[in-house]
This record gives sequence, C-alpha cells and structure tokens, in this order.
Amino acid sequence: MPVRTPHFPDLLFGSAARLRHWEGALMALLASHGYRELHPSLVLREAIPGGALRFFDGDDLVALRWDFTMALAGVLARGFPLPPPRVSYAGAVFRRPLQPWEAVERFEVGCERIQPEGESSEEADLELAKLLMAIPGVLGLKSAILHMGHAALVRRPLEAEGIFGDLAKEVVTALSRRAPHRVKEVLDGHPSAARLVAHAEALLSELNGPGTLDALAASPYAELLHGERLHMERTLRSLLPILPPHLELRVDLAEVAGLDFYTGPTLRLWAPGAQQELAAGGRYDSLFPGLGRPWQAAGFCVRLSRLLDLAETRPDLFELPQ
Amino acid sequence: MSDRTLLIAFPKGRLGDELIPKLAGTPLALDTEALKSRVLQIPTATPGVAVLLLKGADLPRYVAAGVASLGIVGSDTLDEMDMDLLELADLGFGACRLSLCARGGVTLEALRAKPHLRLATKFPKATEAWLSREDLTAELVPLSSSAELAPLLGLADAIVDLVQTGGTLRAHGLVETAVLGRSSARLVAARGAYLSEPSRIRPLAELLVKALVQG
Repeated sequence: MPVRTPHFPDLLFGSAARLRHWEGALMALLASHGYRELHPSLVLREAIPGGALRFFDGDDLVALRWDFTMALAGVLARGFPLPPPRVSYAGAVFRRPLQPWEAVERFEVGCERIQPEGESSEEADLELAKLLMAIPGVLGLKSAILHMGHAALVRRPLEAEGIFGDLAKEVVTALSRRAPHRVKEVLDGHPSAARLVAHAEALLSELNGPGTLDALAASPYAELLHGERLHMERTLRSLLPILPPHLELRVDLAEVAGLDFYTGPTLRLWAPGAQQELAAGGRYDSLFPGLGRPWQAAGFCVRLSRLLDLAETRPDLFELPQ
Repeated sequence: MSDRTLLIAFPKGRLGDELIPKLAGTPLALDTEALKSRVLQIPTATPGVAVLLLKGADLPRYVAAGVASLGIVGSDTLDEMDMDLLELADLGFGACRLSLCARGGVTLEALRAKPHLRLATKFPKATEAWLSREDLTAELVPLSSSAELAPLLGLADAIVDLVQTGGTLRAHGLVETAVLGRSSARLVAARGAYLSEPSRIRPLAELLVKALVQG
C-alpha cells in the first residue's frame, strides 16, 4: 500500500505576499465585471464526501470546506429564491490529496455565473471565457495556453450507446489517459466497441487550434455532436479575434476531466511546462436541479496554490514583479 | 545537461534489454559509452534529449511527477499503480501473460477448493481484481522477486506472475493454471508536459512509436 504523508505547506514571506497580491488582483477583476463575493463557512455540517478533511466537534461529524462550488451551491439553493447572477469567492479548501505531492490546504479564487432555466447559456459561457483569458495577464504569466473542450463530446455518445455506470467510468478513464487502445480493451465484446473506439481515435487525433474541430467529422457520432461542434465554432469565432498576446487557444476534444460534473463547454488554463492546469472551469447545468433549483450554472476556479508552486519552481514563466 | 533537457524514462531489465537495441541508428539512439558506464542518465543522439534508466516500478512516478516527460513501461506495472499519466501507445513488444501458476499436477479447481488459499505475487491489485471476478478469497503474500520459489518451499499454494516463454516456470516444475491478463510495453507521458508543450513532446513521442512499432 502506498504511504502518503499529508502535506501542509506553510507560506513564507514571498509566497504569502504573492498569494495576497494575486487574490486581490483577481477579486478586483471579477468585481469589475459585476461578480459579488460570497464566503461560505469553512466548517460544513452537511453530507460530506470521502475526500474531505473530517473531524468530530463533540458528537457532530463536521468537515472543512472541500470545494467552493459545492459549498456555494448549498448556500444559494437554501437561501435565495432567485439566483444572484454573478458570484465570486476566494479562500482555502481542504482536501485529501490524490497524489502525494498535492497539498491538503489549497487556495483558490473563482466565480460562478448562474441563470434561471431556459435562458441562453452561450453568452454566459463567452463571458466566462473572456474573463479566463484575462487571468494570465493579471497573474503576470509570460505566456499561457487555454484548452477548450466540451463534456458532451464524450458523454452523449456513451449515453446514446446505453453505456453508464462502471463501464462508462472505465471508458472515460481510458480517454483521460489518451489511450485509444485502452478504450478498445475496456469495450472488448460490447456491440458499440468499434464505433466508440473510432470516436476515441477521432477525439485523440488532434490537439491544436480551430482546425482540430474537423477531426470530429471522422467520428461515427459526427451528426449526433453537430450542435456541440457549432457551439464550439461560434465560441472560437468570438474568442480568436480578441485573444490577448501570449495566450494560445487550443481545442482539446478529448478533455474528460470532471466529466461526472461538467455538462457543456470546459476550459483549462496551462502554462508551458507546468505540470498541472492552473485554472479550470466549465458548464455544470445539473448541479442546481439536483438541489431542487431549476437554475443553470457555469464557472471557473483559479488554483492559486499551484501557481505559488510554479512561481517557486519556474520563476522564468512570470514577469518580474513591478 | 541543461535544466530544459527533455528526459525520457526507460526501464532497466527485460523490457529495457529489448528496447534499447531497437533505437540503434535512430535520433534517440543511446550513447554507447555512457551505456557501458554505471551512469543512469544517458545522452541520446538528439541534443537536449536524455534517457533515465529506472527500475520499472519507479518509472511511472518519475513520469507522473513530470521529471521525465515520456517513458516506456509495462502495462502490468501501470495497472498496479494508480498514477495520473497519459498512455499514448501500446508498443506491442515485451508481450507476456499475467498468470496463476502452481506446481505441476495442481489444477485451478484444486486451488479453488482450498479453504485457505495463499497466493504469492508482486501484482496484488491485478490478483485482487481476478479473485473478485472469480468470487474467490485468498491470503496474498507480497513478494518483489523470485516468486517461483514460493510454491516450491510452501510459502504459498500458487503464484501470480508474468510469464513470457514459460522457461522459468518449467525450470521450477510450475505450470500456468489460469491467465489473468496480458501485458506489453506502453509509451507514457507526463500529463502536464504533453498538454502544455505538445509541440515539444509529440514529435518525440511519434519518433519513439515509429522506431519501436513500425521500425
């Protein structure tokens, strides 16, 4: 069994100052676009997932806040008859690490764009993408890459073939590894194996600019995914002319991280050579209906702890502080 | 070597012995003088690209942490370790079976019938998955090498181990009683390096696939 030592890093002077500066600058950016801060309690007394840090407070099992989006969704669904359209947050979340080098305490800044059911979500998605495009500049990153994906590119073909549960998870894991041969192994003997393997190969064939969308034409599900393709094309047409210098936009058809949560377009921010994404987000329209509210939502989260690590290990990726 | 030297992790041992000659004459051929030494970081024919020689079980860690951008490792090792890395290709070579092996004359049914089955293995995850599929329970005896000795000396009733030609099994009077899975060499990549610098990593990955699969 792997032995994992919990990693609780202290932030010394430089990192602490950087955290404070970045948090302030990002919250100011969000505020200037109409996002108002909500600060859910650090201690949760509700249904708690396995990855949370838990302890007993007297007889009560409580957990530390493990995710802002979930915590905020609880606050909003309980206390608001109509959704506030723009919400921002900043602070720490506490999670058991999946990889040994991940810290337990993680600092994040993020935002949520919430709408009543039936309202067009395309403008909200664009608004979030534009905001995310401004983040590298605010952080002083010399260059960055924005990956655009769409959860439905994998979800819809699986649903169309009646693949759910563990088998769907295995297919998604194989795609997450970008291993079409694993998709083939997992689906060995399934009636839709040939179609889904061809689809996986189409998704994994390119990782590049707007031309990447053409790879979808080779998929047996090209027609099923026509709407998603048009949506991505429209988004690209809107974003490419206003792309800031030193930010590259790539289409990543095989983006499946968080597929059990995301329902629509997804965005991930990378820096060249960074080992982990620095910000991530997308549309998650099933979250609020699950809490009894007919609202749609999308948002993103900037992972400040990863940025602090990157600033220590790869200072060459950042502009010198003014 | 500079800080930006791109590192590829190669396994030592059986897989490495098969792999390194396949790269001779390619841009990723290893420096023969360095190979003869005890150095574990070997320059290649391409400046700025070096190879790390690592034990198979350690290799995925180096790649998952992004120390090495690419690596080659057996799928049996990958399946045992829950590492967040990309698996870009099945390279086909180093093919072997993960098998349940017992002394000659001991059948699968005899093993199934044992009230307390003891299996020695260095593949506990794959063994547990097979036991679960077969609706069996067993005591797992973790070993890291020379598993063939375990049934002979009474440490276990059978072993779960990799079998390529079956020569080592025969030499110890053991036979395969069930095949649990198959393994072959896989090209793996660090998620971060591959997704954030595809123009740097993909050409090398393609070069490796060309040399090792098509070459």
